[in-house]
Amino acid sequence: MRKLIFLAFLCLSIVGFGAIGLADGDRVLRVSFSWPTYIDPAVGSDYSSSASFVNLYDTLVYPDVDGSPLPHVARSWETSEDGLVWTFHLRDDVLFHDGTPLTAEDVKFSMDRITTIGEGYGFLFVGRVQKTEVVDDYTVRFHLSQPFGPFLTTLYRLYILNKDLVEANIKRPGPYGDMGDYGKEFLLTHDAGSGPYMVKEFRVEEELVMVKNPNYWLPLDPETPDEVRFIGTTEPATIRTMMARRELEISDQWQPQEAWQALDAIEGVDIASFYAGTEFYLMINTKKPPTDDVHFRRAMAWAMDYQTVVDHIFPGSIQARGPIPQNIPGADPNVFQFQRDLDKAREELKKSKYYDQLDQLEVEFHWIAEVPDEEKVALLFMANMAEIGINVKVVKVPWMSVVEEMAQLETSPHIVSVFDSSHYPEAGSLLESRYHSSSAPTWEQNEWLLDPTLDAMIEDALATVDRKERFAKYAEIQEYIVDLCPTIFLFEQVEKHAYQSAYVDWPTARGEVNPVMGYNMAARFIKVYPEKRQELLGG
Amino acid sequence: MKVLKFVAKRLLMSIFVLFGLSILIFLVSRVLPGDPVRMALGPRAPEWAVQNMREQMHLDKPLYVQYYYWLSGALHGDLGQSLFTRRPVMDDIKEFLPATMELALFAGLIMAIFGILLGAVAGRYSNTWVDNTVRIFSYVGVVTPSFVFAILFLLLFGYLLRWFPTAGRLSAGIPRPPAITGMVTLDALITGNWAALGDALWHMVLPAVSLALGGMAQEARITRSTISDNLRKDYIGAARGFGVPERLVMLKYLLKPSLIPTASILGLDFASLLANAFLVELIFNWPGFSRYGINAMLRKDLNAVSAVVMVLGIVFVIVNILVDLVVAGLDPRIRLGAERGK
Amino acid sequence: MAFWKRPGFQRRWDSVKRGWYKFSKNPVSVVGLFFVLLVSFLAAFAPYVAPYPEHAGRFVNFSEASQPPSLKHPFGTDVFGRDILSRVFFGFRYSLMMGVVVLLLVVPPGVVLGLLAGYYRGTWIDTVIMRITDVFLAVPPLILALAVCSVLTPSVFNAMMAVSLMWWPWYTRLVYGLASSIRNEFFVQAAEVAGASRSHILFREILPNCVSSIFTKMSLDMGWVILIGSSLSFVGLGAQPPTPDLGTMVADGAKYLPDQWWIAVFPALAIMITVLGFNLIGDGLRDLFALEEV
Repeated sequence: MRKLIFLAFLCLSIVGFGAIGLADGDRVLRVSFSWPTYIDPAVGSDYSSSASFVNLYDTLVYPDVDGSPLPHVARSWETSEDGLVWTFHLRDDVLFHDGTPLTAEDVKFSMDRITTIGEGYGFLFVGRVQKTEVVDDYTVRFHLSQPFGPFLTTLYRLYILNKDLVEANIKRPGPYGDMGDYGKEFLLTHDAGSGPYMVKEFRVEEELVMVKNPNYWLPLDPETPDEVRFIGTTEPATIRTMMARRELEISDQWQPQEAWQALDAIEGVDIASFYAGTEFYLMINTKKPPTDDVHFRRAMAWAMDYQTVVDHIFPGSIQARGPIPQNIPGADPNVFQFQRDLDKAREELKKSKYYDQLDQLEVEFHWIAEVPDEEKVALLFMANMAEIGINVKVVKVPWMSVVEEMAQLETSPHIVSVFDSSHYPEAGSLLESRYHSSSAPTWEQNEWLLDPTLDAMIEDALATVDRKERFAKYAEIQEYIVDLCPTIFLFEQVEKHAYQSAYVDWPTARGEVNPVMGYNMAARFIKVYPEKRQELLGG
Repeated sequence: MKVLKFVAKRLLMSIFVLFGLSILIFLVSRVLPGDPVRMALGPRAPEWAVQNMREQMHLDKPLYVQYYYWLSGALHGDLGQSLFTRRPVMDDIKEFLPATMELALFAGLIMAIFGILLGAVAGRYSNTWVDNTVRIFSYVGVVTPSFVFAILFLLLFGYLLRWFPTAGRLSAGIPRPPAITGMVTLDALITGNWAALGDALWHMVLPAVSLALGGMAQEARITRSTISDNLRKDYIGAARGFGVPERLVMLKYLLKPSLIPTASILGLDFASLLANAFLVELIFNWPGFSRYGINAMLRKDLNAVSAVVMVLGIVFVIVNILVDLVVAGLDPRIRLGAERGK
Repeated sequence: MAFWKRPGFQRRWDSVKRGWYKFSKNPVSVVGLFFVLLVSFLAAFAPYVAPYPEHAGRFVNFSEASQPPSLKHPFGTDVFGRDILSRVFFGFRYSLMMGVVVLLLVVPPGVVLGLLAGYYRGTWIDTVIMRITDVFLAVPPLILALAVCSVLTPSVFNAMMAVSLMWWPWYTRLVYGLASSIRNEFFVQAAEVAGASRSHILFREILPNCVSSIFTKMSLDMGWVILIGSSLSFVGLGAQPPTPDLGTMVADGAKYLPDQWWIAVFPALAIMITVLGFNLIGDGLRDLFALEEV
């Protein structure tokens, strides 16, 4: 009996350990993210993956805050008259994390790898880059299959891998023939980059720990973080506790509305909010009855209560105008915009061939489980549609499953609500990744437009090298798309992050917003002051 | 020798059960239409790569051949790739299982110790206020889902009183001890890292107690009723009459035989504890096997789902055999090898 | 003669009255009965007793979102501005439906298989049935139900199917134990000698002697099934919004702890009350029938 009591006492005495585990003087930057984070540049393309590439890898060119390309690994470049051949001259002082120099071979390897695997940002290059040629150690040349206006900006997404390191870690047999698994298993948890940070530890579904690269070829301010941690949780309660305990420097953007006020109330914590070119779409399947009928779709667009969404559900956002967020170069400011008007909605619905059978129909609406506020949009949509007699069934689906079901027309639901943003700062990016037939099986398109006219228009615009001419074509495409009403363009998201303004200097929060997804999380521009953190903790 | 023979017999039966379970879960995991290879490689992967991989995974063969490959792979520790983490499911299991076992063992200890303690006290003082309090506690304990406990504790002890952390296994400032067993507390103990040990235990309290309460109530209830029954039996009075010291009467003649029914339901309680871990880990963001399992289920990551179910099947088989051995140790009347139960 | 005056009926009626008397003397079971009646009443008349019945369906009102408990909304409102009290009343419906449907689906096949296996104990029928049962019992029902749900589209209906698929073995095992001992009783052997048919022996001789155990288990299981159902919805594999399912409500509310605590806490308490009610009744029945196995 005494033993039992002793054990019981032991269990209770654990309470006493309460205060340990805080306050150290490390210059660490912790950012919360929604998992998965794929640190393999040929696999990932979502927010957290992109943010990790930016820190681990270098690119030929780097986006300025206005989206225009700055020289980076490439000192200079030139293009042929017809826009088909692009030649880049590389710096010779860029070293990979293992100390070997970055050469043209590595650039070619990275391009070959991403175009073969085709995942992640591979679609920017697949079918477009015909061949990569190594001219000499520090000169590389891309041959395109057709002219491509925004090619330079797509190179923000060509992250350069250490060829020798990856090849030494290939697992055979794998799906890619001679290349085995192309180093996919290795790159899942390791980096092969030259960037300002390198992977120290990668714990699946938990944490990505990166440390500063002491031999980075660009000078790094001593106040930039020595260690960067991406923490794989967006659980509001957890985020809030960590923020209050100064265990998190920058929060993710997926917090529910209720949480922002509570986070803002924490001393020393501010909310950074900015338009980063992200739009929230209700993507409508245009091949499945009843949403295959344009009148049916237009009725839904008229019945939607946009005002409640921007006032109550996502305060600070603005109603979207067409498929392209207005701050993206090439957005058409004059394209038609739907407003809530139930009379017009009913009128359109009457024109629909499904008008007589409304009570037997059900529209399935899938929302992303990881973003709690999407449920509010879903239920608002459901209530709005009930007003004009359309039955909606709302289903909560985890992100991974949504990606899977959107991969095939048969399994794609009637409507999915998704946030999306451009992959390079130009309207052409979203037009292609959202509406071109080649994107239909990806999570970026649930519309399944499969419209050859539209495909041709998009291809033609992208092949136009002259910027002004290209932008005129973009505008035409936007009008064409809005007329088809394949999507309810709900709002342009104001991206919000809570951050420790008292001891973190984050250029994005000061208004230097980079329009390319992930680049606002480049830790080499963020400064952390641990002394001030300790002051906060002490007081 | 008897023990060995008993264990061998139980193992043999268990192998049959696990074999059946493997067929069941294999069938469940193949019900879903869709192309696992396409999903693993992504929609823009070249067709030749998809074809290569399909052949490597034997997905071009009939179902029973696939089952054969799946089973023989599983026997060699190859459970396929997870669609989500994109690495062998076996690696995931190795990483996540220790966290759950740690939590479950800790919760199991709390459950057994406090359950028996409460039951013994209530039985000893039956029909007093102590007994009534324990009885009310056990009703509440039995009927409350552990996720409800978890949420109430999180609110009360995590947020309002701030006694315990609300998520994870370790505080941010505490470096994780080197992974020897993967169980943080054990690793910390081995390496003598007292700060990490304390912190890890401190993180474990709320999830473990939420998990333990249901079973604890069950154990308390059963211990109480056997003890109060046995207390009235003649042999206790006889022992007292012979002048056996009261402490010895209580421990040897009363408590030990009274634990037999309690011990025999320990296995079931431990099983439901592990099942409940599926919800509780989610609430406390415990990076364990159950959270992995539930996420795999939500994402239809079928290789992972079938592996999770099989691993749990194996765990339960082992737990049941252990429980049988404990019961046999407590009760000399039970001959090992005789079939228990109904 | 009116049927209630027949001696057979009288005898049964007397035993029911005696049983009820004993049952009602046990305060625990009376409390249980009270909870169950209360919950059933609220569920049955939810549209009339709920202050805002329309909040159970396709309704949002963001201007009244996340309000703490008040006279207007005794349990507060959720983030969609819906009255939680009303949704809890409707939530009882789904919980009870879950329990009733699953038990109706599960008990008949489970019992029949158990009778067969018990009666033919030692033959291949026994072996086949009981080994399959063992396979299903190898892993807790919640986990198998989750696994099955994960391959189906999440809905209340599929959740019920999945739970049913995993629940019958418990009845098979229970009845198997009872039947295999009853078949050695004298009256069964007498019936066999008298040339009674198999089905007569199974359903007329053996089954009636299992009924009290089965009912007791059913009453306890109502609670467990409701619990598992709410667990499935809690993780998102059961009922879908805006269905006012208690498990879903707890899961949604958990996201807004600790500030909007009422969103999760009241539905959680509602689950507790429901399960507690059925458990207490089950306990009362167990004492009444002096059963040990269930």
